[in-house]
This record gives sequence, structure tokens and C-alpha cells, in this order.
Amino acid sequence: MAIAHEFEYFKPESLEEAVKLKARYGDRARLLAGGTDLIVKINDELESPEAVIDLKGIKEMKRLEFKDGRLFIGPLVTFSELIDSPEVREKFPLFIEAAETVASGSIRNRATLVGNICSAVPSLDSGTPLLTYEAEVIARGEDGERTIPIAEWFVGPKKNALKEGEIVVGVSIPEPPKKHGGCYVKLGRYRGEDLAQVGVGILALEGNEYRVAFCAVGPIASRADKIEKLLQGKKLDNGLIEEAIKLVPEEIAPIDDIRATGEYRMHMAGVMLGRGLRAAVARLNGQGPEYGISVI
Amino acid sequence: MSQANQIKGKIMEELKYIGKSFPRIDGKEKVTGAAQYVDDLEYGPNLLHTEIVESTEPFAKIIKIDTSRAEKVPGVVTVITGKDFPYKFGLYMKDRYIMAQDVVRFVGEQVAAVIARDPKTARRAAKLVKVKYEPLTPVFDQMEAIKKNPILIHPDLGEYTHVPWFYPKAKTNIAHWKKVRLGDMEKGFAEADVILEDTYHVPRYAHCCMESHIAVGKLDQADRLTVWSSSQSPHTQRHLFAEALAPLGFTHKDIRVITPFIGGGFGGKAGVTMEILAAAFATKVKGNPVKVRWTRAQEFYNTYMRQAVLSKLKMGAKKDGTITAFEISNYWDAGPYVEYGANVVNASGLSAAGPYRIPNVKIDSLCIYTNLPAAGPYRGFGYSEMMFGVESHMERMAQKLGMDPVEFRKKNAFKGGDLLVYGAPMNANGFDECIDRVAEAIEYGKKAVSEDPNKVIGKGIAGAWKGPAMPPNASSSAFLKFSEDGSINILVSGIDMGQGYLTVMAQIAAEILTVPVEKIRTENPDTDRNAYEWQTVASHVTWSCGNAVKRAALDAREQIFETVHAAYLYDKSTLYLEDECVKCTIDPEFSLPLKDFVIDGIMVKDGTFRGGPILGKGMFMPEFSSTKSDPETSQGGKPNVHYTVGAGGLIIEIDKETGKVKVLKVAEAFDVGKAINPDLVNGQILGGFMQGLATALYEDMRFGENGEILNPNFTDYKIPTALDIPDEIIPIIVEVPQNDGPYGARGIGEHTMIPVMPAIANAVEDALGIRIKSMPITAEKIAMAIKAGVKEVD
Repeated sequence: MAIAHEFEYFKPESLEEAVKLKARYGDRARLLAGGTDLIVKINDELESPEAVIDLKGIKEMKRLEFKDGRLFIGPLVTFSELIDSPEVREKFPLFIEAAETVASGSIRNRATLVGNICSAVPSLDSGTPLLTYEAEVIARGEDGERTIPIAEWFVGPKKNALKEGEIVVGVSIPEPPKKHGGCYVKLGRYRGEDLAQVGVGILALEGNEYRVAFCAVGPIASRADKIEKLLQGKKLDNGLIEEAIKLVPEEIAPIDDIRATGEYRMHMAGVMLGRGLRAAVARLNGQGPEYGISVI
Repeated sequence: MSQANQIKGKIMEELKYIGKSFPRIDGKEKVTGAAQYVDDLEYGPNLLHTEIVESTEPFAKIIKIDTSRAEKVPGVVTVITGKDFPYKFGLYMKDRYIMAQDVVRFVGEQVAAVIARDPKTARRAAKLVKVKYEPLTPVFDQMEAIKKNPILIHPDLGEYTHVPWFYPKAKTNIAHWKKVRLGDMEKGFAEADVILEDTYHVPRYAHCCMESHIAVGKLDQADRLTVWSSSQSPHTQRHLFAEALAPLGFTHKDIRVITPFIGGGFGGKAGVTMEILAAAFATKVKGNPVKVRWTRAQEFYNTYMRQAVLSKLKMGAKKDGTITAFEISNYWDAGPYVEYGANVVNASGLSAAGPYRIPNVKIDSLCIYTNLPAAGPYRGFGYSEMMFGVESHMERMAQKLGMDPVEFRKKNAFKGGDLLVYGAPMNANGFDECIDRVAEAIEYGKKAVSEDPNKVIGKGIAGAWKGPAMPPNASSSAFLKFSEDGSINILVSGIDMGQGYLTVMAQIAAEILTVPVEKIRTENPDTDRNAYEWQTVASHVTWSCGNAVKRAALDAREQIFETVHAAYLYDKSTLYLEDECVKCTIDPEFSLPLKDFVIDGIMVKDGTFRGGPILGKGMFMPEFSSTKSDPETSQGGKPNVHYTVGAGGLIIEIDKETGKVKVLKVAEAFDVGKAINPDLVNGQILGGFMQGLATALYEDMRFGENGEILNPNFTDYKIPTALDIPDEIIPIIVEVPQNDGPYGARGIGEHTMIPVMPAIANAVEDALGIRIKSMPITAEKIAMAIKAGVKEVD
């Protein structure tokens, strides 16, 4: 690969140094973690940053730990590292089910969760589990640290809530208060790696509590409030699923592109919601298909 | 029979190396990463790099190219434009220039090139080349291009040089119009009880080789032009380079093409595409090698693509299942340059009625210029495309007649000796056995029900055939050299692009010379060193080059016997080879190892020697093939040396809500004449099936309004992964010998992908009652058809 664009390259060894550099360059600098998005974009000349700040020299950014009921994921933690963590798998099975559908094995070995949410494409597979597990993003700038609820993180296609000069220092996910089952349903064009044409992430918690989120069917990944409201407190049955599917057009606004038409996406979102709800509830009850087995 | 002849006869009967699944002789090299490809070779510190300035317009006049800023970038050696090389090239029709001259005809066409010391500099400088265009009105649809008073993509078409079997229509966009006329169509349709008429559409596809195109050219100070290329056609490249660069004083002897291992071809590396740039650019930077390497996007835009076709079919049949008439019009979207692609239209035109004996046939196969990227050869050479319509139509006709589709096909299938639509006889073949065994493998006709209420199961079957599309005198040749230890190097110029050619050539030589396969190397081509081969295309090298290698081995054997005769005075007819030794039927004690004399000869009593280095040579050119025929009817001549026939069948499960198709089981049977290496034939069946499945279900090329490709990448142009391979694939080998093939072998390479598209469409209809008449059959297409409640999808 012959990257024609010229840029300044920095590899700070501390977070403080990185924050300073980011403050100095602002939007003219890009942060490099896994590089699976950034390098491709620079090569294709879709991005031409003045500076690239490589975070791989900052050891603390590799932190992945479960402590006090919360999972902390540092900016350098790759999807493969998440998938390989038995603790994450046990406590956040929906998150792993979605992570395993991100690109291919070799990409997951480099690509990071934080990079994924910073790129904030509408089809991001990590979006719906983070939304349903109600994660928080921790950002740091020269003025200090702040916490952004994931529901406020995605602000538009490829746009996140970071302010100029801020760096994400981690994502924190609370363990759900109750026993839960989940299901991530992803529509791809074949069984190999693909970008989601529709993604539905569902958490079913004990006591008929449901959390539902969609991706790739609107400008941002988001929770489906109306559907959740309908479902809340009710036992899942065919009638309820039918009613929920009827609400799908009120929740999403899929577009036509070369991957799928809006019409097919709308149709599939309903099919996937129905099958995903069934699987999530079955898994909550110790039944249903194993995590990782697609229901479509 | 004498005892001597009995011994020899027994040895001849028992094949020791043919028909055995020897491991590939290049397998370890490739698996360990030791195999070298063009980009792996070292070209030294003077290597220069190239960046191409591509057309942003689908059809436009070039008003001005300003290279001044690019030339000033430090590290830039030179900037080249079309005016540097106002020379045409092409395999069958000279309709394109090395670089665009005054007009560009597709987005992505080479307009200028920057040659620089490193790739980054070349890329930066290329951005500074400014091209001013005057846009012309492009035409992207082949049916638009043949309407009255079209915009002409090649106004000078009438003056182009081409092979004698092409019929371009001057002042139109029709580059070639192949016609076949047999019998009386009116009578044929009048005799029919049922007539079925419909239109089918197959879009463009890309080859998607793992290794993208690459070539390195070097003109040394002694005026020797060497090109290293990833190619299926080193000798043909040398020939086309010599033709195109003749104005610069080059002749064939000055040009050398070296082809190391290649990472896939599928027809996309046949003939000459971008390699001409490396050959031409080298002449501007004498003494320095210059590399031209395509990106994945360029691979889509500027090599060849598979042509799209619109097939209008009308078939008549009697109630008893006899087909009485078949009228076919195939309209091919061939892109703006058809120097190779017009022959796809020609070859598939001759065979467009399928492997069926029909008394009244009318075929029109039209090669039409458009302003989409240039299209050309692709595995199957037009047969996959046109057989989608034919085999969909056969299925539907059988249904209309109330006949079993297998029986309907068998009833009409060509038997050996039947006359083909152009009057030449069909070769002996096992079509009936192929389709029967496929039907048996998938329990065709027996309805299966899915356990999942959301899913339905369907079965589909399709016949296939294909003949090698080549000039009548396309030839192969071989050198076979012994070394002191009795090991052998075979110097041929075919390409092993995965099919196992190197191994099969070694097996053929091993059989004749009784030298084990592991003591034989088949070498990759170097036109200076290896013997001539036309090209590795048309599924012809096992047959054609196999014959050449066999003859080279027989030639070497003759020299061996001659040497032994000269030294020991045994009559040559009493000599035979066994276990790397020369033996004699009348002297059981005599056994002379080959290694004792194949270089040094044999010393006789007086201390002098007989014999010397054994160097076999062999060539093969079919002397029975001819393209001389009536341009209005195609009657006369024998344009195809043989056909390989077969069939494919599959069981699919469709999710009625999502439209997703899962292939549960596949069987493909092909009559290969003789499987020289059965495992390698099975590999062709698996690989060809998967490539066919990709075109049937997943690959979906999209173009924008400006003729640009919207998905020139694997993010959005989907080829199957290991996860998409069906659970069960049953390869079936049928062997009705080809009388002129080595040990009875005929071609098997392209064929295995041909039945897949129609078999899928037929299975979808079996499962859902929905007939889909266009490719690909994506999940979305199926789901939307179910939702809309339609029975046919155009």
C-alpha cells in the first residue's frame, strides 16, 4: 500500500501526552488504535489528517477488566480479546454474539471496540449490545474527564459526541441487574463477513423486561422505545410479537443502497425482531439456539 | 501373439501413473509459501513504479493532457500519455490502443502514466496530471446501443483488422454477429404442440483472482525486452507485444515473457490486458525494470469482466418431448473493446442451443459495444451465461409437456456421431450417464420437506456442455530433458492456476518413461526456454499439451531405445521400459537403468560411446479443426475440437421469510474422457461449483449513472467464503474416452460452473413455484417475490 498523503506521526507513551497532542491538533489529528478504518480511509484519501496520534504506546489503554459490577474496556482492546475473555462471555453474552460478527478473524485481531464506536457508522455491530447493556463512554480532554451515556454517543452517521480535543479513554458497561438472555441478529448477504444491512440487538431480562435496539436502519444505532414500551411487563407470545413487528416502521427509517433496498430492510427488521425476541427469551430460560448460531 | 509382445502388451495395459490421485507436485511449495509470484521476485534497486491516470469519463474526447506539474515532482522519471504509443493491439480484433488516444470509452481507461522511483511519488504526481475532456453521450445498455441511429462507439469499425471468422457491421455498434441457420424454422414451429418463449438476463461478473494483475517490463542495454507477468498466455503475450511494438523495431526474438506461479486466472489473465503497459513503458526507461501492479479496484475496472447477456428464447416441442425448433437471440454487452470478447460471443453462439439434437435452429449471437468496462474471457467463455437461459427453458418446457425434466433432456441429447447445428459430428459422450447419476445422487423427483415450518426444500438439475474456443490451429509443444540421475524436467508453457496442470503433465511423462512423478519437475513458462503453448484457456491444456508431452516422452523413449540398440544391438522392437530401466523381451537378464546413460551415453567395447543426452520434443496441433463456414448459416467447418458434457443437481432450502438459500447437497457429474488425476478433477468440480454458486446467489455488480462501478471491492462484491460451502458435494466422474486425447482425456476446467445458475433457478421454482429469469438470485429478490406473491421475476 503506497499511502500518498503525508502526515505527522506521533506515538505518545502516556495518556497525558496524547491528550495534549489531541488538544493541540484538534480535528486535524486522527487517533490510531487498530487502524482497520483509519489506514484504509487515508489510503483511499477519504481522510487526510495533518497528524496521526498512535495510541499503541500507552499501556493503560489496553486495560480490560471486570470490577465492582462493571466491565471496563480500554481503547486498545480488540474484538478478539473481548471474544477470548471468558468473563465477558459469561456476563455479557449478547455483546460477544455481536462481536463475533464483526468483519473477519484477522480484522478482529486488530480492530478495537472503541475504534468501532468512534467511527460510528450506522451499521456497527457493537452498537446494539452497548445500547441494550446501557454502556457509558468515558472521554478525556484538557479540561478533565466526562461520562457520556451510549444513548447520547451516536449523533449522526459517522458522528459521535466527542468534543474537539477529547479522547475516549474507555467504555464502561454495567452488569445487568437481573438474569438475562440476549440475541443479536444480523442481516448479511452471505455467511461470510459482511456489514450489517439490518442489525437487531435484544436483551430479555427476568420479569418480562425487554431492551431492543436496531442498527443499519437509520442514521444512528438506537433503542426502539415504542417497541420496548409495548413489550414491558408482558409475557412474550405470538400475538405480542405480531404487535411489536407492527411498530417497526415507527422505529426505523431504512434507506436504499447497493447492499439492500429500504423495503427489504424494513421487511427483515420485522422478521429479525420476531425471531430475536423468541431466541432471547428462550436463552433467558436456558433454551433456544446457542449464542453464535444465527436465527436467520 | 509372441511372448515378447504379450509382455509388452501387459505393460501397456496396466496404467501405473494415469488415473491415480498423485499429490500436486507444486503443493508443498504453495502451501509453505515458497512459491514465487511476480511481486515476490527481486528486480534490483533500479526498479521503477507506475501510477495510471484513469479516465473519469465513460465516453469523451480528450482535449488536453497537462503533465507539466507531474513531471516536476522530484523522483518522477517520466510521464507517459497515449501519444507516446499510438499503436493498436488485440488478440482477435485490433480495436484498442496501448493507451487512450483521442477518445476514452470507459471509466477507468488508461489515459496517462507516471513512472517514478517509488510508488508514493508516482501516486502523488499522478494527481497533478490534468486531463480536459469533452464528454460524448455514452451508451451502457446493449439494447440501446443497437437501436436505430445509435451513437457510434467505434465510428471506424469497418476498417479494423480481425480474424476471418468475425463479421463486424460497419457504422453500427455490432462488433460481431454470429449466425447459425439449420432447417426450416417455420416448419419446426408448425410441428410443435407447445411453444415457449421468454427472455433471460445474466449481468456482468468479475473474476476476482486472489493475485491481482501485475507485470514488470525491462528493456536492457542490449535491446532485449523481458516482461514478467501474471498471465495465462506467455507466448501469446510475446506475440501481441511483438505485433504492437513492431514500429519500435522489436521482433519476436527480442521479446521474452517469464511467468512464475500465478494466483488465479479464470480467464481474466488470458490474452493481453494491462501487461501491454509494462512492455511499452519499459521502452521509455531503458535499463530500468518498471512495475505495473493493479489494485483491487483496477482489477474490476481494467482487465476483463464477464459479459452480460440478454437471451431471447423461443422453443417448440412435440407432446412426446421431441424438440422441433429453437430460436435464440443472444445480445451481449461486451464493453468498448472486444479484441478478445468477440470470440466469446462467437464460440457460445455456435453452441447456444445446448447439447440437444434439434432439426431446426436459428441462432443470432451479437457482440455489442457499450461504454461499460471492457469484457472478455471468463471461465465458461459465454456458456454459463447462455446456458442459464437454455437450461431454465428446458426445465419449463418439460413442465409444460408434463415430462420428467431428466427424461426430456436425455431424449433430445446429442449422441456420439449426431450432427451438431453447424454440421460437424458430435463426439462420443456420456451425457445420459451424467444426468442420471446426478439425479440419483440428489433423489431428484422425490419431494423433501423441511423440519422448519419457515423453510421449504427444492431440487434443481441442469445439463451442461462446452467445447474449447480456440483458433483451429491452436497448438501446444513440449521439451523433455533428462538429467544424469535419470530425473526429468518438462519444459512446457501452460500455466498451473490451480487446476493441477503441472502434476498431470508429470503423470503423463511418468507413464511413458516409467520414471516416478516425484523425479519429474514441470517448469513454469519462460518463452526463451520452454516450448510453445498457445494459451492456458479453453480447458484445453490437459488434452492438447498432454498430447504434446506424451509425444515428447515417446520421442525420448525412441531415443533411449535407439541408444540401447546402437550399443547392444537388440532389436528396438524387443525393448521396453520398466521401473526406470530399459528391459528386453528376449533377454530377461538385461536391465539397464536410465540414469546410467541418458546423459553420458553407453560405452561399447572399444571405449567409444553411443547415444548422448536424451532430449524429447513433442507438439500437438489439431489437424481436423476448421473455422471455414458460411457466414450466414455457419454450416461447414469444424470449429470445436470436442465437447465436454455433464450435469449438475442440487438440493436447496429456502427460508420463506428471509429469502435466504442454503445449499444442502450438490452433485455434479462430468464426462472427462479419462480422469488422469481423479482428485484434481474432483477439485475442479468443487471449485467450479462454488464459483457458479457465487454468480447465482451472491455476486451482484452495480453501476452508477456515469458507468462507474459502485462496488469494485470485496466489501460489497461478495464471493463466497469457506462458511458458504455446502455440507455435501458429490463429484461424479464419467469416462467415455476422447479418441484424440492423451489416454482418452478431454477438457474439464470451466465446465463445472456452467450448470449451477440454472440448477439454482430450477430448484427455487421447485421449492416456491417462482420462476426467476435473471441473475443473481439474491435473498432479497426471493423474499420480495414471495411478499409480492408473484410467480415470475424478470
